Amino acid sequence: MIDSRYKHIFLFPALLVLVAIIIFPLIYTVRLSFSGWDINRPGLDSVGWRNYARAFVDGGFWNSMGTLYQMVFFCVLFEYTLGFGLALLLWKQVKAGRFFRLLFIIPMCVTPVVMAVVWKTIFHETLGPLNDILSWFGISGVPWLSEATPAFISIILVDVWQWTSLMFILLLAGLMSLPKEPYEAAQIDGAGPIRTFVHVTFPLMAPITIGALVIRLIESSKLMETIYAMTSAGPGSATETTSYLLYIRSLREFQIGYTASLSIIYLVIMIIALALFAKLLSRALIGRSEART
Amino acid sequence: MRGARVNLYSGLKYGALIIWAVFVVAPFLWALSTSFKSDNGVTGGATYIPFLEYEPTLDGWAALFRDTSSGGISMQGPYLASLIVSLVSSGIALALGTLAAYGLSRFTFRAGPLSNSDITFFFISQRIMPPAILAIPYFLLLQFTGLLDTHIGLILVYVAMLLPIVVWVMVDFFNTVPTELDEAAMIDGCNPIQAFYRIILPNCGPGLVVAGLLCIIFSWSEFFFALTLSFAKVQMLPPTIVILNSNKVPWWSLSASALASVVPLVIVAFFLERYLSRGNLAGTIRE
Amino acid sequence: MNSNILLAAGALGLAGLIAVGGARSASAETDYIAKYGIKADAPGMCSFSSIDAKDYSGHELTILTHAVPVMGEPAALHSKQFEELTGGKVNVVHAPFGELYQKVMIPFQTGQHVYDIVYGGSYWIGDWAPHLAPVPQKYLDLPEMKDVTPAYQGVASWNGQRLQYTVDGDRNYFKYIRPPFEDAENQAKFKAEYGRDLEVPTTWEEYAEVATFFNGWDWDGDGELEYGSTEIVQRDNIAFSNFITRVASYAKNPNVTGGFWFDLDTMTPQVNNPGFVKGLEMWMAALKYMPPGGINFGIGEEIFSWGGGQSLMSVTWDDAFIQAMQEDSPIRNKILVGTKYGPSMGSKKVWNRVANTWDEFETPSVAPYVAWGWGAGVSKYSKEQEMAFDWFCFFSNYANTNHDLLIGRFGVNPFRTSHMDPAYWEKEAGWNTDVAVSYTNMLKGMATNTNRVFDLRVPGVNQYYTAMMASVSKAMAGEMSAQAALDEVAAEWIRITERIGVDVVREAYKNVVALEDNVSLSAVK
Repeated sequence: MIDSRYKHIFLFPALLVLVAIIIFPLIYTVRLSFSGWDINRPGLDSVGWRNYARAFVDGGFWNSMGTLYQMVFFCVLFEYTLGFGLALLLWKQVKAGRFFRLLFIIPMCVTPVVMAVVWKTIFHETLGPLNDILSWFGISGVPWLSEATPAFISIILVDVWQWTSLMFILLLAGLMSLPKEPYEAAQIDGAGPIRTFVHVTFPLMAPITIGALVIRLIESSKLMETIYAMTSAGPGSATETTSYLLYIRSLREFQIGYTASLSIIYLVIMIIALALFAKLLSRALIGRSEART
Repeated sequence: MRGARVNLYSGLKYGALIIWAVFVVAPFLWALSTSFKSDNGVTGGATYIPFLEYEPTLDGWAALFRDTSSGGISMQGPYLASLIVSLVSSGIALALGTLAAYGLSRFTFRAGPLSNSDITFFFISQRIMPPAILAIPYFLLLQFTGLLDTHIGLILVYVAMLLPIVVWVMVDFFNTVPTELDEAAMIDGCNPIQAFYRIILPNCGPGLVVAGLLCIIFSWSEFFFALTLSFAKVQMLPPTIVILNSNKVPWWSLSASALASVVPLVIVAFFLERYLSRGNLAGTIRE
Repeated sequence: MNSNILLAAGALGLAGLIAVGGARSASAETDYIAKYGIKADAPGMCSFSSIDAKDYSGHELTILTHAVPVMGEPAALHSKQFEELTGGKVNVVHAPFGELYQKVMIPFQTGQHVYDIVYGGSYWIGDWAPHLAPVPQKYLDLPEMKDVTPAYQGVASWNGQRLQYTVDGDRNYFKYIRPPFEDAENQAKFKAEYGRDLEVPTTWEEYAEVATFFNGWDWDGDGELEYGSTEIVQRDNIAFSNFITRVASYAKNPNVTGGFWFDLDTMTPQVNNPGFVKGLEMWMAALKYMPPGGINFGIGEEIFSWGGGQSLMSVTWDDAFIQAMQEDSPIRNKILVGTKYGPSMGSKKVWNRVANTWDEFETPSVAPYVAWGWGAGVSKYSKEQEMAFDWFCFFSNYANTNHDLLIGRFGVNPFRTSHMDPAYWEKEAGWNTDVAVSYTNMLKGMATNTNRVFDLRVPGVNQYYTAMMASVSKAMAGEMSAQAALDEVAAEWIRITERIGVDVVREAYKNVVALEDNVSLSAVK
């Protein structure tokens, strides 16, 4: 072990940089949430808890949280499952494996906000290719962006297209770092591929799984640019996520103070939810594998 | 019997891979085809094959390089600026972040009831705040330090944005890498920092490369801060491209710009993939 | 003797100098025309030659404008010209429309003074007013400025001062493809189905019938289906303008003064009165005759759709019309604008909010919408105000405007009385006579109509509009009824007004009422 006297040298540079750059905006946002900074009243005055009181009864805000959770759930579920599946398929030597691996990484290399506009042209109901191709199979006129459920699905589709790559690459790198011994042991035991997966691969991948899920949950909860480019939270408010709502309230309407309070509430909820999720998951996955050994 | 089962399994495997590959590639093909279209190729309904279904033109691509006074977006400057800012901020984030991740993985930190995993969680929780909320505070911060509309200011903000990712990925990675190598490094007699950068880090291939790729991707594609924290001197690529999505969207130049913006990252991804494919890296540490 | 020769030589020399000087300035004038592609350099303070005479070397302007091409391209183009002529430096920064507002407001609100000139929607004037420098009188006295129609001069003014420099004028108007109306077979079928002749509609009810009739079949023989109407419905795009167009004729009563959006005395929102509700209900029903996906159309889709001949009619901006008149458009010169009663659809029943009843009109009452158009102004914190106003002067001089009007993608639309001459459009743009006459009649109708509707140009306008469209789009999506949606809007508007300050909004709204009631600001109580 490296001398633990040096442990602080490792941690502190990064921590210092982060605190210096992040802490001010965070504290400022808290201060903002107690101010009434609005379009015709810029500056930090003090309005006490008024913003928070208003936030708790803001139906649009809580609706958007609900929409967000539903979206994130489906997105991350699909991305994880597909990503893991693809990583498993391409883990060992496969014909043209390198080609597939490179190809599957590419979607996440595209700038999301730009690709979202390209997707909008794809989903265009009369001028876009998707409905056109579907019509060759007899499926006509899917209202991709003009009805609530299809719009919801189209946003998830775009997110899954782009970010399955992230799960794929994280899980693949994880798979490649796994030790060989357990597999040799499993082979000696005569375990087939499914049993090997359930009892060896999946438990060993538990830390990576948790890490990948948390990252992806955080990133997808900020789902804004795709919605901004494709549906503007429509139709109605079917695809309005919290991030989009916060953007409109703060940078279009300039209700800066109020939006700050919304974002603090959002931050607190997210931290609690994620921390709980990570703890529960680690207890479930790692706890179990420890019981096995 | 066994042969038939292997063949079925093989067939399913390739089938799945091909289906996903088609799904991945299709939007790019559409973008490629659309980048050569003009009004007529769009308003009449979906068209795919140039020359057969529409008259191709290079205008979509040309507009990327034309000056704004002749209707283009002049993306050469922003392209370069984004490259530099991405590389620099990724480099700094990797240097500091891997250091911190190693510390969090190997040592125990205590601050009251909080311990290592809480500190790690603190890092990653910095990514929860939507950029739209942080726009004004960061604006004020950079205004206060006189770094508005400078590349350095943006790099600083990006480093703060990327550190959490590096720490999060590398902590996981270090946790799966055994400690024998650390001892070997120490025996050589260098101080810990040197030991870290010279011996341990070079052996953390997959994790490092993945973290690096994520850094470059997130900083290259970053739109919000690039838009809000810059005025005239700093022009980054994503805002320059998104400008096309205003009023009548020129499908062609937008598709062209989407493809153009992917190129550097694909190159990076190519090297990443090659690196990953050089066998199972864990093996080098085992021996 | 010698002195005579000297005198003669001197006179000859002088004459020679004058001749050469004259020739040089004549060729200098030709230089502008040849060099910059303009038709003529109208003389005056803003002409090419006058600006050329100015020297701004060592000075720098920073301009924030919209993306290329709408307003962005002419701004960049004329900035380049300005640089060449004056030796000064002009930085042009572009932003997409959705981000323009915050890119302007954040610096204004945080005291970071970066831009000398800002562009945006002119309806933001209520928010911008504290930060703009009034246009100096010498520019207001220019013939180019005096030529601006009274409505657009009013739109650029605030509390008695001219805060925006007029560079554009916009409107929403009715446009339609002509041949299907004149086709005998269509006329026969229509008569059989609806019991009346197929005519260009003049009311929203007639519009709905015609649009339904032409919806969903291939009436131009191009192998694709066509539809009745294309509109802008996508929520946070500029659908609010389309909403205003739809409700205006039902809710703006020529006999009622004192506020269209609010009752000026009580500041009660009017958005949920039966006039507005009826307009919204008609719009909700209109989804049936819009192209598929119509509920998600932003202005980009509308331009592609109507400009590409996909729908028969539209009541929106100039952009789709100009697109349709492009050289390679399938419907070039086959379109007309306006109805026989005005620029837009009218209604025979208009809600009277004072008498609480529907007023009946023999001929449809039309309430055209003077849409917001591009507004631009000089920041009052700018250290280069003289250069900035000269830039504006140059940008909108006769030569440049006449050049820009013809290039559809520039987004510069008519705003001067001199733009309403059909000969100009015929000769310069190559339009057919009937199209040119139809267009300029529509422009003139807009300028002379006294029952016009304007945007809610008060501080916090984005909050009002976002709240409005959030609920309206829910109604459009079928999530709630029109009345419920607009009641929601009215309730939110009351809250917004309280937050911003009732008196602040009332004082600001007086500016709008002055425009609505065609009186001067001081006459508004």
